[in-house]
Amino acid sequence: MDQHRLTEYLKRRMPHAREHRVVGLKRISGGSSRETYAFDLEWSEDGRTHTRPMIGRRDPTGGLLKTDREREFKVIAAMHRAGLKVPEPLFLELDASVMDRPFFIMHRAAGRTGMGAFPATEPESTRAKVADDFLSELALMQSLDYRECGLEILGAPKNPEDPARIQAAHWSEVYERDRMGEHYPILTAALAWLVANPVVTDRVVIVHGDWRSGNYLYDDNGIIAMLDWEMAHLGDPMEDLGWASMMFWGRDELAGGLMEREAFYRLYEQKTGYRVDRKRLFFYQVLGNAKMAVICLSGIRDFVEGRTSDAVMPFLELLIPQLFKDLANQLRLV
Amino acid sequence: MLRPTLNELISGMQRTIMEAMLPELTSPYAQGQAMSTIGMLAHAAASLDRAPAYDAAEIKDLRATFAALKRLGDKHISKKSGLRGALARAIRAGAKNPPDRRAMEAAMAAFATAVALGHADDGVARHVRAYLRRNLERTLALLGSPLIP
Repeated sequence: MDQHRLTEYLKRRMPHAREHRVVGLKRISGGSSRETYAFDLEWSEDGRTHTRPMIGRRDPTGGLLKTDREREFKVIAAMHRAGLKVPEPLFLELDASVMDRPFFIMHRAAGRTGMGAFPATEPESTRAKVADDFLSELALMQSLDYRECGLEILGAPKNPEDPARIQAAHWSEVYERDRMGEHYPILTAALAWLVANPVVTDRVVIVHGDWRSGNYLYDDNGIIAMLDWEMAHLGDPMEDLGWASMMFWGRDELAGGLMEREAFYRLYEQKTGYRVDRKRLFFYQVLGNAKMAVICLSGIRDFVEGRTSDAVMPFLELLIPQLFKDLANQLRLV
Repeated sequence: MLRPTLNELISGMQRTIMEAMLPELTSPYAQGQAMSTIGMLAHAAASLDRAPAYDAAEIKDLRATFAALKRLGDKHISKKSGLRGALARAIRAGAKNPPDRRAMEAAMAAFATAVALGHADDGVARHVRAYLRRNLERTLALLGSPLIP
């Protein structure tokens, strides 16, 4: 992102303000599906000087996911209106001429984050608060009526078996597109199993699609904001629970590095008032491992074919064996 | 042998990034990318050393597994499963010079799918599972290094 063009853009979007200054613009890592920039905006208004920390998320030239930024922005806006802990969305720009590619700007929340499982080095009191918030926020999101949130745009499934079928078909399609002619027997088998064994949901809810440790900002008082909404869709509530409790995002027996799995499921039941359906949960844990492996293959393909130069992408190869191992164990392939 | 060797070149590139470039980079993002590139080069060096043995072991194991499946005979592989064709293609691919590993893996994907869906005979499933276990062990040994940034 270019500082001058960004300043001019913000001047146009905030005509009531004067003396706009973009300060400390820098690209930051994280949010691999889009280029992410941090900056502070200073401006004058009503005779006073204001400062606001902001994040700019610009479409990538390549990367992990191909998703629609307008959709992501609308989901974050809906979640913000509904009272979920999310960064406040500020501006969406779809005109690629403004900054080469579409982008949006959000408030930059404070807090720390990790790469995956909740860090074992954090104090027990912090871990407990984050674990509780993690499931409270999930329960709140799953309690929302997507129609009242204006999120029919995400495409409501027509039948209770559609969410599982749609996800299995989608990730099979991405696999076929991005496997670059290679064959991965365990992944092929897992996707075939998912297509052949779709589960039936009991209700349709808003699904974040990447609800896991590593995708929130937190401090000693708990979660500040849930991040990375680009895979949000409508589907089965077990999908986010299955993804969040996968071995891959956890540490030993701790789901997400937060809480022992069975206690995690019990707390989910308390927070939502719904039982954890083990058959559906298992389906979505298998889907989660397959989906993550496919996402890795997509990132590798973009790197190999020159659509991204992000030096992290080749390392995705190193994540795949663990995902295959988990899939093989789940489906008794070893 | 011509010097520097490929491994020596890679080590040299790592030092160049670390000692000549990294101190000049002020952006934390660029510094992170430089560090990841150093890791990528370490990964490349390890692959150069270990990948040929990995490939050779894979091909040998795939050939042996398909030979064992063929020895089981037709009564273990039903016609309607479609696996007889996959097995024939795998045997042919393994006999090529050089062997067509991709075609053998495509056939193994068909067998693994049959096992996952419960469509494979017990004898077939035993051989397929044993191969997949060895394959995972080899892959974890090759890639399961603590290089993840």
